[in-house]
Formats: sequence, C-alpha cells, structure tokens
Amino acid sequence: MNQGAETPAAETPVAAMIDARAESSLYLIVWVWLVLLLVAGLAIFVLPIPRTVGVVIIFSIAAIKAALVLRNYMHLKHEHILIYMIVAIPALFLIGMAIALIPDIVYRHHLGG
Amino acid sequence: MGASVQTIPIAPETDHLREIPIGKMAIWWFLASEIMVFGGLIACFILMQFAHGGFAAEAEHVKWRLGAFNTLVLVTSSLTMILALAAARTKNLARTRLCLLATILLGVFFLCVKAFEYTSEIREGFVPSSGMFWSFYFGMTGLHGLHVIAGIVLNITLLIAVTRKKPWDFLQRRIEFAGLYWHFVDVVWIFLFPLIYLT
Repeated sequence: MNQGAETPAAETPVAAMIDARAESSLYLIVWVWLVLLLVAGLAIFVLPIPRTVGVVIIFSIAAIKAALVLRNYMHLKHEHILIYMIVAIPALFLIGMAIALIPDIVYRHHLGG
Repeated sequence: MGASVQTIPIAPETDHLREIPIGKMAIWWFLASEIMVFGGLIACFILMQFAHGGFAAEAEHVKWRLGAFNTLVLVTSSLTMILALAAARTKNLARTRLCLLATILLGVFFLCVKAFEYTSEIREGFVPSSGMFWSFYFGMTGLHGLHVIAGIVLNITLLIAVTRKKPWDFLQRRIEFAGLYWHFVDVVWIFLFPLIYLT
C-alpha cells in the first residue's frame, strides 16, 4: 500500500486542520516556556544566591520542564493510568533506592563510621 | 501492513473504549527500563556528590554556556519532532519531511557541540580516568550521546519512509513512537544539564 497520488492538504477535513493548528500553537507555547525556564535556571546559577537554595530552585525548574515535555510533547496527559504506572513505578523505585542509601553515606563519610 | 493495529484492551469489563496500541505499550516499557539506566547513574552521581561533599572544583572546568546552548538545541529538536507528528496527522507530506529533517540536523548539531566540548576538556587534561566526577561526566553524557545517535538513525529511517510515501497510518504510528523516544532523551538531558553543569 502506498500514498500514491494523494493530495494531502486537499483531502484533510477542515476541522482536523483547525485542530492541528491549535495543537501546533500549543507545542510552540510549550517550547517558549521551556526556553524561558532554561533562562530562569541559568539566571539562578549566575546570580549570587545561597547554593542550597539555588540547587533546590534549579532542580524544581528542571522538574517543571520535564513535566511540560512529558505532558504535552509525550501526550502523557491523554494517556491511560497504566502508562502512568509504567513510568512511575521505576521512578519511585529509584528514588526509594537512593533514599535508602543516604543513611549509609552519612554514617561512612560524614560521621566517620 | 498498517491497516489493522494490534491493541491491548484495558479493563474490558468497565472501559471498552480505551485501548493502548501494542507498539505504544512496548515503547513505554522500553522507556521505563531507560529510566532505570539513566536514573541509576544519576542517583549514583548524586550520592557520590553527597559522599564527597560536592564536585565544585571539578565542575568549574565544564563549559556551562555550551551545555545551556545544547539544552536549547535539544528542546528545539523536541519541538520539531512533535511538529512532525502534527504534520503527519494532517497528512502534510512536505511539512512532515521538513520537521523530521530539522530534528535530525538539530540532533547532529547537538553532537557536534558535545564533540567540541569533549575535545576542549580532553585537551585540558580531563579524561574519564581523571577522577570520580569526570568518570560520571563522560559516562553519563556519553551514554546520552549514544541515545541521541540512536534517535538520529531512527529519524533518518522515518525520513526515508516518508520520502518513499509509506501509508499515513504507518507513518503516524512510527513518528509517534520515535517521538516518544526522542522526547525521553530530551527529558534525560533536562536533568543531566543542571546536575553536571549548574550544581
């Protein structure tokens, strides 16, 4: 099967074209937000802000950027709960493992155990 | 091929309408395994940072301006990738091709900037064996770079398929799946950039 002599624009329903245009506008708006958040993160890095506060803000910005990509570009906001679970379970597992190792590191490296 | 899509029914007793295509399910499973790969590395890096009281001295030698520029390049490539899918859904052949080509070129540009960065760091004497920070730096960014290369190859095959005028339902599905992978690679970089360059 082949597209053959299909004339795409002519065969596309008008409603679909309008939907696609609205969708493309949303993608462009998300991209503008991603760029603005990138600039905000760099501003936090350059400005004389206490390191711990800066790190928390920078990673919060990164989390927002990731959420924007996941929800809008990867269409997670339209996906079934099963897809959320497929993503969330390994992510939570990783966070759990990292947190579980922190006491050991504190004991060995910071308390001289 | 392409006319019938295999799907996995989700809770058929309660929700007959919601079905997930097997291909989409497979790509999300793959991405879940990738979360473990990159997440494991990132978690190890954070824990090592914690154990060594940070890598501030080493991190001063990485080029954060180039990293920031590369973030912009990758984020823009995500935009062109999703626009390729939007174009494929409206069966706009020329725009689909253009957006895929832009994604490929931006991916190649990202790699060129990274290669330039590696070259200057290696010239300054920083190699993977220079210390814990540099091992993680080259390991994580190198693995990410390999994923970018895989994404570029994937997009090239899609560009060829579009040029050969494969059926639209085939193209739409493939572009959607390749897009999921490409955006995931972007999300990984969104976390790698502040982790390595800004903290």
